[in-house]
Amino acid sequence: MKKIKVLKPVLVSNQQRAKENRSMFDRMNSLVINIIASPGAGKTSFIKNLITGLKGSHKILVIEGDIKGQIDSESISRLGVDVIQINTATECHLDAFMTAQVLPKIKKNYDLILVENIGNLVCPAEFDIGEDFKLAILSTPEGDDKPLKYPLLFHLARVTVINKCDLLPYVDFRPDIARKNIKRENPRAVIFEVSSKTEQGFEEVFRFVSKEINARQKKDKH
Amino acid sequence: MHEFGVTKSLVDLCNQEAKKNRIEKVHKIHLRVGRFTGFSPDSIQFYFEHLKVNTRCSAAYIVFEEVPIKILCNDCQKISEIEEPVLLCPNCGSDEIDLISGREFSVTSIEGE
Repeated sequence: MKKIKVLKPVLVSNQQRAKENRSMFDRMNSLVINIIASPGAGKTSFIKNLITGLKGSHKILVIEGDIKGQIDSESISRLGVDVIQINTATECHLDAFMTAQVLPKIKKNYDLILVENIGNLVCPAEFDIGEDFKLAILSTPEGDDKPLKYPLLFHLARVTVINKCDLLPYVDFRPDIARKNIKRENPRAVIFEVSSKTEQGFEEVFRFVSKEINARQKKDKH
Repeated sequence: MHEFGVTKSLVDLCNQEAKKNRIEKVHKIHLRVGRFTGFSPDSIQFYFEHLKVNTRCSAAYIVFEEVPIKILCNDCQKISEIEEPVLLCPNCGSDEIDLISGREFSVTSIEGE
């Protein structure tokens, strides 16, 4: 009987692939945001608002992850930006390999690549795809306790967007408690309160993302 | 549900390591799972029984080592073990916290012949 030391993370191959993706994104000079939320939290409408606000000043690509279909891709491409669809069939998240498969389809340089992950608060958090940062969306009807119930995502997300704030008069969601709960998982989280429906709060998000894009491009020049 | 994919990666990794070290039959896999991962040992066990069939791991079982969540407080410098992943220092209440363990998901060793 032999005992062999392995000492390797199980997801070592995903991590290696994510690293390769990251250097490819670096070479393309693109800021990559991995957008994660539950189904119906408003990932697609958030992305559409970002596109509307930023497409005048930045070149944007959307990588759209869905289990099936291309409803979201179609509605996003109507805004005049490029979209690449990934259908995962059975997988409940995007991983570095699925992302790597579509990279050869990227023919131009983009300032910003928005990746819409599969609607799920659990699995997508575990898989690095090579992004610059994760952005979580929490919508008000879901409840202000979700960061405590799905701690890993809110711990890893550098940015959390509280969406559907126009519904605050109708739902039992306390923004101050939600902020406190997000900060309990990630004291350094950047938090925005928006409504994709009324566009309230988006100016701040545009400023933040533009600043990140500029910082990224400056970094690459050095 | 996502344990299927990661258990597949686990079986692949163990088979590769077994092959590299000329182990035909793996008996034991020592797996560290941090409490601050979304992976449940029960689900991994469930998928493992199916995924190990016809591989070098077909007779293997997994020995799970759960790793607690530990945080370092940058204010009072105390290291604390916490039950729930709420990143506040239990000693002084500070949120200037660094996570020092709990995110592990790795194979420490395999045994076989």
